[in-house]
Amino acid sequence: MPFLLRVGLPGLSVALTLFFGAPLFADQELLRAAAENNVNQRYRIESVSFAGIDIEEDSTLPSNIRNRLNGLVGQNCDVAALESLSGEIRHELHYRTVSQHLSKGSAPDLVRVNFEVERRDLAFDVSLPKFLYHSQQGPTGEVDASARFKNNSLAFGLVSNGDDLVERFSGITARFESAAFGPEIGAGQTRLGITFEDYHEKWNSQTVTQAADAGLELYRSRWNVAPEFTFAVARPVTVSFGASFEHMESETPGIADRYANAATLDIRAGRKIEGNRIQQQLDWKYSLRVATHMLGSSYAYARHLITAKYEARSGRHTISSEFIAGSIAGNAPSFDRFVLGSSSTLRGWDRYDIDPVGGSRVVHNEIAYSYRVREGSVEGFYDAGALWHSDGGNLDRTAKLRHSLGIGYKQGIFVLTMAFPVGDGRIEPVFMAGMNY
Amino acid sequence: MTRRNLTLTLLAAFSAAVTTCAWAISVAGTQMTVRLDGDYLRIALPHLDFLQGKALSRLKDGASVAFIGQVTITTSQNSLTPVARSVARFALSYDIWEERFSITKIGQNFDARRSVSHLSEQSAQSWCIDNLTLGRSQLPADKEFWVQLDLRTEDPRDQTGVVGDPGISITRLIEIFSRPARDEKSRWISSSGPFRLADLKRLDVRGPRG
Repeated sequence: MPFLLRVGLPGLSVALTLFFGAPLFADQELLRAAAENNVNQRYRIESVSFAGIDIEEDSTLPSNIRNRLNGLVGQNCDVAALESLSGEIRHELHYRTVSQHLSKGSAPDLVRVNFEVERRDLAFDVSLPKFLYHSQQGPTGEVDASARFKNNSLAFGLVSNGDDLVERFSGITARFESAAFGPEIGAGQTRLGITFEDYHEKWNSQTVTQAADAGLELYRSRWNVAPEFTFAVARPVTVSFGASFEHMESETPGIADRYANAATLDIRAGRKIEGNRIQQQLDWKYSLRVATHMLGSSYAYARHLITAKYEARSGRHTISSEFIAGSIAGNAPSFDRFVLGSSSTLRGWDRYDIDPVGGSRVVHNEIAYSYRVREGSVEGFYDAGALWHSDGGNLDRTAKLRHSLGIGYKQGIFVLTMAFPVGDGRIEPVFMAGMNY
Repeated sequence: MTRRNLTLTLLAAFSAAVTTCAWAISVAGTQMTVRLDGDYLRIALPHLDFLQGKALSRLKDGASVAFIGQVTITTSQNSLTPVARSVARFALSYDIWEERFSITKIGQNFDARRSVSHLSEQSAQSWCIDNLTLGRSQLPADKEFWVQLDLRTEDPRDQTGVVGDPGISITRLIEIFSRPARDEKSRWISSSGPFRLADLKRLDVRGPRG
């Protein structure tokens, strides 16, 4: 970015920065080049300390961070890597600042590294964690206000989401989370959370018509209370179990309120394979939600969803594939039905052309290739998926495989995408711009 | 308060503000000299001391510090539209063992990089200024012109915490907009003129490409 643009027009610079995810005021490329050209990288690291305490003696550090700091000993003093690690520690442990300081070691080719920290016991933050503009669906976004005290956090959010479900839901969320570092068995981290959500729904006219034909009950508002306990079984495997008490107020006056009370289970695992030329990452997740009359639920169903993602990077090239498969046994309310045609599935398709009330079976796969260009990456992707009902249904919806193609540009958390449905008999691109989508 | 008193008060406040701002960012008591070195215009500021304060302490802690320097040519003293401009970016670090400075001038591509090491504090500063050059062909041939140097450190604080995986932190944005735009010790501006191309002192020895 030209010098004067940043110095003389800070407002425009901020706007461009926010849009492109590029450096906010600071020239990140220059800062990274400065770190990579640091003269001290020819020295080896003799020891590492954290806040002045040798990491071997610091029992307060989480094991994953202590292991990473330990791994620096004996390595060359890569200042760019140290700065990157400082940023990760600051983010993970919620410090105000973390900075690395070098000092002479016991021999002329050795240096000692100390990570100095500035703590903040009470942290308050207002953030915009997600935003998306979709040329068919309109905007989707969230604003959060959060407070953190030691390992506890409390967050309130305002949400308007027209992307995840067949209906647009808008409302408030609140979440309390308490994390504790347990004993050194496995990864040892446990977390207890409770979420409250209160949404009002807005239905598409096609959904209203189809729901009436199918005898589906729509609701005008819903609220949910969901406690959840998470623990790490082993380092790459995390298990969460909890409950969800969902209350729905009917769209039709005179019809009694309904409940979808369920037990929930999530299992996540991930594996990173660091090769000399290729870095690979595999993540998968299984989610189960079982609503039963025993919990006072008006609905009885079991919802299964499997997600698997593979990514391989080599130099500037990245290929990735994400597969999802889901199934619902029983009669689920609209918010638990599957949808295709969102910002991450069958991009380019209108979700209401696929199925305006959502389906009970879904299969979807995304294959993407991206090429890194300076700070960002240019991406091309191919989506394929099918959404259907288990019984064929009285609406005569059967499984039909659909495809879409698209290109995009990604920089940091910001994404700009254009996608086309394939074989839909129209060449009408869908544009999406947002962050963290 | 009469209208005259109000006007005087506003003028006094404005003057005080302008004086404070000018003091904060200008290089007081430093005389810039300008010369032609072959096909390049070079500047010199013998008493400029920009390695100081927080930047110097970060360097001595082993961190890297980046500087951006800009030389602009204008045809009038207060013109906001330069007729020529040259920007250079420098990465400085300090050898913990040898206690000497090392500099890399960052170019648009890898081949355009130039590095120098084992410099004293004063030599490091002089090297940066000496490597802020402008092509002779960019100078007005038949007009008077003014030369301005604008040098500043790139603050790594700016990049932390505003945009990250959790999204955009509005609190951090408010913090950034609430603090002074630039620490007065992280920016140096100096200008000199008027000059005429024909009157500039020439050096016999050609330096490296700017």
